[in-house]
Amino acid sequence: MSTKEKLIGHVMKEEPVGSRCKVTVVGVGMVGMASAISVLLKDLCDELALVDVMEDKLKGEAMDLQHGSLFLKTHKIVADKDYSVTANSKVVVVTAGARQQEGESRLNLVQRNVNIFKFIIPNIVKYSPNCILLVVSNPVDILTYVAWKLSGFPRHRVIGSGTNLDSARFRHIMGEKLHLHPSSCHGWIIGEHGDSSVPVWSGVNVAGVSLQGLNPQMGAEGDSENWKAVHKMVVDGAYEVIKLKGYTSWAIGMSVADLVESIMKNLHKVHPVSTLVQGMHGVKDEVFLSIPCVLGNSGLTDVIHMTLKPDEEKQLVNSAETLWGVQKELTL
Amino acid sequence: MASILQKLITPLFSGPPEPPRNKVTVVGVGQVGMACAISILLRELTDELALVDVMEDKLKGEMMDLQHGSLFLKTPKIVADKDYSVTANSRIVVVTAGVRQQEGESRLNLVQRNVNIFKHIIPQIVRYSPDCIIIVVSNPVDVLTYVTWKLSGLPQHRVIGSGTNLDSARFRFLMADKLGIHPSSFNGWILGEHGDTSVPVWSGTNVAGVNLQTLNPDIGTDNDDENWKETHQMVVNSAYEVIRLKGYTNWAIGLSVADLTESLMKNMNRIHPVSTMVQGMYGISDEVYLSLPCVLNSGGVASVVNMTLTEDEVAQLQASANTLWDIQKDLRDV
Repeated sequence: MSTKEKLIGHVMKEEPVGSRCKVTVVGVGMVGMASAISVLLKDLCDELALVDVMEDKLKGEAMDLQHGSLFLKTHKIVADKDYSVTANSKVVVVTAGARQQEGESRLNLVQRNVNIFKFIIPNIVKYSPNCILLVVSNPVDILTYVAWKLSGFPRHRVIGSGTNLDSARFRHIMGEKLHLHPSSCHGWIIGEHGDSSVPVWSGVNVAGVSLQGLNPQMGAEGDSENWKAVHKMVVDGAYEVIKLKGYTSWAIGMSVADLVESIMKNLHKVHPVSTLVQGMHGVKDEVFLSIPCVLGNSGLTDVIHMTLKPDEEKQLVNSAETLWGVQKELTL
Repeated sequence: MASILQKLITPLFSGPPEPPRNKVTVVGVGQVGMACAISILLRELTDELALVDVMEDKLKGEMMDLQHGSLFLKTPKIVADKDYSVTANSRIVVVTAGVRQQEGESRLNLVQRNVNIFKHIIPQIVRYSPDCIIIVVSNPVDVLTYVTWKLSGLPQHRVIGSGTNLDSARFRFLMADKLGIHPSSFNGWILGEHGDTSVPVWSGTNVAGVNLQTLNPDIGTDNDDENWKETHQMVVNSAYEVIRLKGYTNWAIGLSVADLTESLMKNMNRIHPVSTMVQGMYGISDEVYLSLPCVLNSGGVASVVNMTLTEDEVAQLQASANTLWDIQKDLRDV
C-alpha cells in the first residue's frame, strides 16, 4: 500500500463535482497577471485557468501562482495554450493583445487586436458556451463589440471593462482634493475608455451633496478650482504611468477583480462598463460605450438611464461616431 | 469665494494628522517588491504603504498605478520617494532591493554585490524607523539577514529573513497535491538555508496528526520506492525552474511575505519557518542566520520552537551553517 492509501480512504462513490466558480484569464502579460493575483487575493474563484501562446512564460506564471497555494483559497490553478483548459468557466477575462506604446492612443491598436480576437473568441465560446466575457484589451469599446460579434453571445454576456478604471482614477483624485476615501467620493465617467471619456459633473457628489450645486462652474473653463483638470488627469493617467514604468497593471487588475466580484457574488452592483448603447442618448450606431450598468451572475442585466446635459449627450454621440468610423472598416 | 471643500465639509478637529499605526515600507520596486506590495495591500494589512527605490521614474509609475486603484483598497495612503524620509515610522520594512539570480545562477553568487547595496539602505531605514521590524527578502537571504542585523544595530529578534517560509509553502503545495488535499492541511517544515541545502524535516510531516514517516519509514531516503525525496528536490529546483520559464519569480514570494507581515502586524503568535540567529542551537557555534520555526508577533521573533530533529537532520543544519559562515567570514565592510 502506498503512503497515500495508508493515510487516506476515499469514500465518495460518485464522480467529483467540477468547479462551480471558474475564472479564466486569457493573456499572461502584466494586465492578465495583475487581474489573476487580484482575483486570487479576493477569493473569487475555486478554479483559475490561464491561457496564452507563449508556453514557457505561461507555465512559469502558473507555477509561481501554484507555489503560493498555501496562502490562497483557490485550490486549482491550471494553464495551457490549449483552450480545453478553460472549459466551464463562469467568467473569462480577455487581456490578450498588443498594448499601447508610449504616446500611442488605444485606437491605434485595433486591427492587430481584432486579428488576435478572431482566434481567441471562438475558442473561448467552444469550451464555455455559457460564460460571461469580460473584455479588457484595448481599444476596449471596439474590442467588446468585436467579441460580441465573434462570439454570437447575447449582449448581456459581453462586457467591456470600460470606464470602471477611469471612474476609479477620478474618484481617487477627487478623494485627494477633498481628503476623503475614494469610496465616499461619487463621480461617474462614461463613454469611451480613452481620450474622449465624459465626466458627468452633474452627478458628482459626496453624501448626496451635489458638488456642481456648490460650484456651478465645476468642469467648465471658468472654474477657479479647475475641476476640469481632474478629468484631464484621468485621461492622461494611463499615458503618464506608461511613460514612467512602461505599462499599467495594478489599477486595471484591481478594477477587473472588482467587476468579477460583482458578477460572481451576484451583487447587482452598478458599475460604469462598456455595453451596447445603440438607441440610448441619441446614439444610432451599433457601438459599445460605458454607462452605469447592473452586474450580477447573469451578467449585465440592466442599465441606468442617466439624465445627461445636451453637451454630455453630444460628447457620447461624437464618441459613438468615432468608434463606428473605426468599426465599419474592420474585417471580422 | 469659498471652495467646494469649504462649503461641503466642516472640520471638527484640526490638529496635526495622526501618524500611521500599521505602516509598511517596501524597499525595491522590482517584481518581488511589487508582488509584496500588492499582496499586502489586497490583504488589507496596512494603513500606509511607502515604496523606495533608486529608479525614480519606475518608482513614481508604480506608486501612481497603485494609487489609481485606491478605490478598491483599504490603504488610504500610498507614498513613494527615493529619499528615505518617506519611510518614517514604519512598523515593518520589507527589503527586496538588490540584484537577482540570472538563469542558472545560485543565490550565493549574489552576495558581495548585495552587501554593497545594503550598506546604503539599512542605515537609512533604521534612521527613520528605529523601532521597526525588518523582513529581508533579497538573496542570499540568510547571509543578507545576517548583514542587515550587523548594519542595523537592531536587536536580533527584530531582523527576520523570509527564509524557508516560501520553501515550506512550495513543499506543502507539492506534497498536498500528491495527496489530493489543500496545502494548509499538510504539515511539513523545511528549515535551514533558503537554497540548495535546505533541510526537509521528514520526521515532522503529517496530515491530521498522522505522521507520514511512521506510515513509510523510508520517506525522504534514497531507499524509498515512492521517491518522496524527489518532492524536496523539486522545491530546491522550483525557483530555478520558474526563472527559466518566466525570467523571475514574484507571486509566491509576495504572498509569503504578506503571510509573515500578517503575523507580525496582528500580533498573532503564529509559527513560521523564517531566518533567525541560530548561534548556540543544534550545535551551531557561528553567528549565522538560518530558518527555524519561529513564533512571530508584533515584537518580532518572540521565540524559537525546539523541533525534535533526527541526527541526520541536525547534521544537515550544521552543514548549512558551515556553508553560510564560509561566505560570511569573507565579506568586506560588515
